Amino acid sequence: MPHSVRASSRVSASRSRRDLLAALLGTLASASCGRSARPLRDGSRVVVTFWYAFGDLVRKVLLDLVDRYNQSQSLVLVRPVHQGDYFEALAKLRTAIAAGAAPPLAHVVLEVLPYLARAGVLEPLDGYEGAGELALVPALSQRGSFGPGAAQETYGVPFNRSTPIAYCNARLFQQAGAHVPTTWDELAQVARSLTRRSSGSVTRWGFEVPLSWWYWVALVGQAGGHLVEPDGKLSLGGPAGEAALELWQHLVRTDRVMRPPPGGDYQAWQSTSEGFLQERIAMMWSSTAFLRYLEASAPFPIVAAPLPRASSFSVPTGGTMFVLVRSAPDEEKQAAWSFVRWMCEPEQAIDWCTRTGYMPITRRAVESLGESGFYMRHPNDRVAYDQLAHAQPWPWAPDLFRVERDIVEPLLQEAVLTGRDAHEVMQEAREQAAEPA
Amino acid sequence: MTPRSRTQPWAMLGPTLVLLVAFFIVPIGVAAFESFFAWDLLTPPRYVGAANYRAIAAHGGLLALALRTLAYSAVVVSGTMGLGLALALLVNRPGRVFALVRASIFSAYIVSWVAVALLWMALLDDTGGIVSHFLRAVGFGNLSLLGDPRAALPTLAAIGAWKLTGYSMIVLLSGLQSVPPSLYEAAALDGAGRWSRFRYVTLPALGPTAAFAATSTLVTSFQAFDVVRIVTQGGPARATQLFVYAIYEQIFLDLRVGRASALTVVFFVLLLVLASVQLRALSPRGRPS
Repeated sequence: MPHSVRASSRVSASRSRRDLLAALLGTLASASCGRSARPLRDGSRVVVTFWYAFGDLVRKVLLDLVDRYNQSQSLVLVRPVHQGDYFEALAKLRTAIAAGAAPPLAHVVLEVLPYLARAGVLEPLDGYEGAGELALVPALSQRGSFGPGAAQETYGVPFNRSTPIAYCNARLFQQAGAHVPTTWDELAQVARSLTRRSSGSVTRWGFEVPLSWWYWVALVGQAGGHLVEPDGKLSLGGPAGEAALELWQHLVRTDRVMRPPPGGDYQAWQSTSEGFLQERIAMMWSSTAFLRYLEASAPFPIVAAPLPRASSFSVPTGGTMFVLVRSAPDEEKQAAWSFVRWMCEPEQAIDWCTRTGYMPITRRAVESLGESGFYMRHPNDRVAYDQLAHAQPWPWAPDLFRVERDIVEPLLQEAVLTGRDAHEVMQEAREQAAEPA
Repeated sequence: MTPRSRTQPWAMLGPTLVLLVAFFIVPIGVAAFESFFAWDLLTPPRYVGAANYRAIAAHGGLLALALRTLAYSAVVVSGTMGLGLALALLVNRPGRVFALVRASIFSAYIVSWVAVALLWMALLDDTGGIVSHFLRAVGFGNLSLLGDPRAALPTLAAIGAWKLTGYSMIVLLSGLQSVPPSLYEAAALDGAGRWSRFRYVTLPALGPTAAFAATSTLVTSFQAFDVVRIVTQGGPARATQLFVYAIYEQIFLDLRVGRASALTVVFFVLLLVLASVQLRALSPRGRPS
């Protein structure tokens, strides 16, 4: 090899090593400093990383819709990334925001929206094109989902929205001659009539509901209580909160007609669904989100029904809202917004709710479903939407999420499983909730 | 070995020291510092003095957490060592069949915690699990091993012991096989029966191996996280909330970095105390070696 060529080769090798080192350092620097201000691109398309938290059927439907969106245009490419359940996804989102590595688009549970909004990490959405023209179902919009004192700016657009509903095994109800309960007394009575025992063991439970905050909030509202009083004091329902807890204690410990499902968080929900599908539970409360899955999986007809009342009908709304992360590059936020708008269009909103069980989020979607006769053919789908007439808005309380997870849920479980006095337990919960965060 | 220069030992220790400082000492120092602040990662930290320590100790929470973790570890270590020793004695025989049995028992140890947790969840399922069917058949009614606060912790510890038994069995087996046969022959000549040979030859010879197996199992049991996260999420009613899971829950699910840091510091001190007690107990002269 001639000298000049060898020299040139050495220079070239040295340069490529330098380039490699520079690229490596650049990558490390950008990783340590978080996201750059430049948008992520795939060719000419802006890439929107979308962190979502679903499994099973709902996940499949979402991925289908994302695929359809990506094929429908050539400017934006949405990349969905599964992040576990709602709580795992939230943990990852917070950490990513703190590390400056958050995606532009995610969806978060309703109760956490005030906390994230107060932290200033969410993008206000009112200034985005078409934000005022989404024609959302009022009770499902951010304004309708939260009570007085809620933020004036919009931070969340409804995505998968739900209410708790009662699922009844129609075959077992018919065999027992039972009717869907409409009051707490009837609930206990029907649960007793549906429970079957053999040699001291329960072979079929009349009723089951996860010992979870969401269902307890429903009971608090039905007993006429509010989590936060009009003066802003966190009362956790006062006497209504205790009455709600006592109902569970009565069904589990006195009547022994309700099984407290094992596991925490969504594992308990899954256990309840499995018991219901195996006909070991005759009636359960769960989210409307599982409607299509349960109908498709159950070897028996399912009748969905609104939750019963004590002094009044009441349900909380649930599910999540789309949020844009404020620190994301502007171009990615714009691209993410275009996807959110697309998801709110009637065709997608209808596809989403009819294939899952979630509620339609826009008025036009509701009208279309009514006009097409969908609700006549699928009366179970109508239950959650009709319950919106009794939906109790959430308080705009940034600490609510912490109170829910760290204080109320463990104490509810303790009271039901050990029989601790309901008044004493709720008093302890109120005291702990009043302590500084 | 005599060092070539004064700096040579430090040069040899250097890489380990750097890693130790970077990944253990500094993080513990940072945690100790952050334990005096209220911080949620997203908003600016606020100095709160010892409030985080008071909060985790309030309502007997810290004591209950420490006792729960110790109880879990005690069941896991004693179960693992007892079963491991029994199995090691049973399978300490030549032949392919026993080799297969040894491999089968050890396989639980190499399977991931996630798979083990899911397997036991299916077995213990209240409504469809084989164990629940068996419990109903023998008259335990509707006892829910994972749903009853009194049963959940022992059940979780039993799962931990099941997974780790294969490990202690293999370690103890190696200890058994290293006992010189001449010791047994000498004891037999002196008229020692099977029990006496086990009591006065096998057990003393296994001492150092058993100490190693028990220590490593104790460390693993204190790190229990996966099995809690998957099987019970700390419930029901916090009955299975162990230290590492409580730290995770505070920082990631309950949004409290300060309290999680305070828990970390307390956990660190607890482990230091336990380690010094253990070193003292295992040292031949009763002093730390």
